[in-house]
Amino acid sequence: MEIDNPLTRLNVTANLDSLSIIGQFIVDAAECAGLDKRKTYNLRLAVDEIATNIIMHGHEEAGLTGDIEISKEIHDDALIITLEDSGIAFDPRTMDMPTEEDLSTPLEDRAIGGLGIYLTINGVDRFDYERVNNHNRNIFEVKRGE
Amino acid sequence: MSFTSDLKVKDSAAFITLAGELDASVAGQFKETVEQAASARPSKLVIYMDKLDYMASAGLRVLIFAKQKMGVGVSIYLIGCQELVKGTLEMSGFHQSVYMQDIYAEA
Repeated sequence: MEIDNPLTRLNVTANLDSLSIIGQFIVDAAECAGLDKRKTYNLRLAVDEIATNIIMHGHEEAGLTGDIEISKEIHDDALIITLEDSGIAFDPRTMDMPTEEDLSTPLEDRAIGGLGIYLTINGVDRFDYERVNNHNRNIFEVKRGE
Repeated sequence: MSFTSDLKVKDSAAFITLAGELDASVAGQFKETVEQAASARPSKLVIYMDKLDYMASAGLRVLIFAKQKMGVGVSIYLIGCQELVKGTLEMSGFHQSVYMQDIYAEA
């Protein structure tokens, strides 16, 4: 992938080996949009968490194979990343988020779940989900500038 | 950058050095290293994080696993975390359950 001719759209197989390719796509997109290091890291983390869910729960555990399409739109005020897949219908926003109490619970008493969606929602300015033509569409928006 | 997870056991402590990027595709390697460390029944687990450039929640879950596998009595030290990795640990409240240090010093 060349920085001078950045892709706006990329298809990867829905398996865990694709996470690093998705990560590189995000880093390149963030560079094009001029995001700083922290916003880039947090966006990558947000997308990585949702992509991991799509791969593990939407495909592998369900015995499905398929692709994830990742795309970017750079607007004057924001970078928008979209993940689209044909795995099991799943709206991540319906997952239980850890409460303040959960987050202050010692590790020995912690439940394992919920941290991924928590990091996603806290890592971007807007996270949305749509179900369109039997596809899941996860949308991440980060404001440029500031 | 590819991920590596190396273990050394010295005296009664287990030392793990992480490097690269820790996402769900490699969290199993980290978990195996923690299991090997646990089998040495250490009194503390020291994890060098300074070469770890990225950590997703899959890495956090292995840290929870480590605490639950080794028991409350085994203190976990995270040494030299990079700023953005540290941000994830703090946002998730992990800094309340582990020792976070720039340079390892027994607490």
